[in-house]
Amino acid sequence: MEVPVLKVSLAGIRAVRGGWSLSAQGIFEEGIHLISGDVGSGKSTLAHLMAGFFPPVSGTVEREGIASVMIVFQFPEFHVTGPDLERECKEWGVDPGTVLAAAGLTGRERANPLDLSRGELKRLILACVLAKDYDLLILDEPFSSLDCAEKERLCMTLSGRKRGITIIFTHEKAHFPRVDRIWEIQGGVLYDRGRLPSALGHWDHAPVIVKSLIARGKVPANISQADLLEAACRT
Amino acid sequence: MQDIRLRAGTAALLSLAAFTSIWGAAVVFIWWLIFSRPLKVLRKMRRVIPAIILIAFFGFVLELTGGGGISYCLRMTVIILIGAWVYTGYQQGEFLRLWVWLLGKKTGFDLGMIAEIGMQSLELMLSDFSRIRQAQELKGTIWGLRSLVPSGSILVHGALRRADETAELMAVRGYTHGGSYCPEFETPMKDIIAGIAALCMGIIAFIPVSEFFILYH
Repeated sequence: MEVPVLKVSLAGIRAVRGGWSLSAQGIFEEGIHLISGDVGSGKSTLAHLMAGFFPPVSGTVEREGIASVMIVFQFPEFHVTGPDLERECKEWGVDPGTVLAAAGLTGRERANPLDLSRGELKRLILACVLAKDYDLLILDEPFSSLDCAEKERLCMTLSGRKRGITIIFTHEKAHFPRVDRIWEIQGGVLYDRGRLPSALGHWDHAPVIVKSLIARGKVPANISQADLLEAACRT
Repeated sequence: MQDIRLRAGTAALLSLAAFTSIWGAAVVFIWWLIFSRPLKVLRKMRRVIPAIILIAFFGFVLELTGGGGISYCLRMTVIILIGAWVYTGYQQGEFLRLWVWLLGKKTGFDLGMIAEIGMQSLELMLSDFSRIRQAQELKGTIWGLRSLVPSGSILVHGALRRADETAELMAVRGYTHGGSYCPEFETPMKDIIAGIAALCMGIIAFIPVSEFFILYH
């Protein structure tokens, strides 16, 4: 059986909000894409546009071979539909036992999702989403509200995704999964910095540690903690 | 209308006139067509259409069960249109200006601030509602009565959380009662003309139709 090619193409798109605009051009193929940019640079707008919530004022968003799409909003409460954690998991179509264990919420099956802290709710929603297999998965600020240990756990899970297009929109500066391609939004334009590790040299939003390693001639193979540690310890 | 004093006064007068009778609703509707820039209002406030459909449904039920439903529907529709006109002209801070002008820097300031927080909350709730719908669609939840309960819970929960955070923040910053604020207003000539026209429409609406035609003859 032939495996369909998954692809999202942004053909000269432009989004306008008030007096501000965002232009983007590029092709997102299977793998993990990181889109970085400052707060207010237009990451969420682009994420919502790629999810198909509204059309661009010009240009087109073309999807090829994509049958299932999911976006995880920055604020996890928007996703809640179940009156308790068990029902919430069931409404996502995932096994409550497995997912609640993955989210560190075992034993709280009867709790109201809206009574959880934002960090706990984020863990739950991410666990529900990552338990499924979407062709296009868009994560808008997935690391917000998570502590360092949870961020690292999420990075490990994301690094393990083998199928589909995963696009991570973030202004995170410390925790990253292994990514295939880096993009960044600057001055209302989306720039493709290319594949890793060559992208690191052109990445303006690169964390200080990455810049420092490159300056010392120790270019990391990728940007996960393990890769950065390997580069830092390299002799 | 830029001047919130005129806009609020006009809206109160016209709503009362429209509610009083069908004749009142008709003259208010004429005012709305001439002065409110109706296309802009409807474009910015598309939600008035479902609201009018809902009112029409209740009007229909009322007409079938006890009568008077058509009158109710027409009068309420005009009031909704006036409400939409007030809402689309809203500029941040203008209710604070209005209430301080009306009741001073203590009670007026408090009421104005509550109104401003309410307006901000409404904006956020509308934006949250659209996010909730998008999330539910992607999750495969069919939008309907069943999904209204969780959506409402999220909206109420979010509004309460924001209110709590705002209250705590204000308490920490030492807010107790009132504030210092000197409201300023701009009143262009077209606002005055629209205001006078609303007053005339109000007077016409409250004169019984028979009296009006006797005077005319």
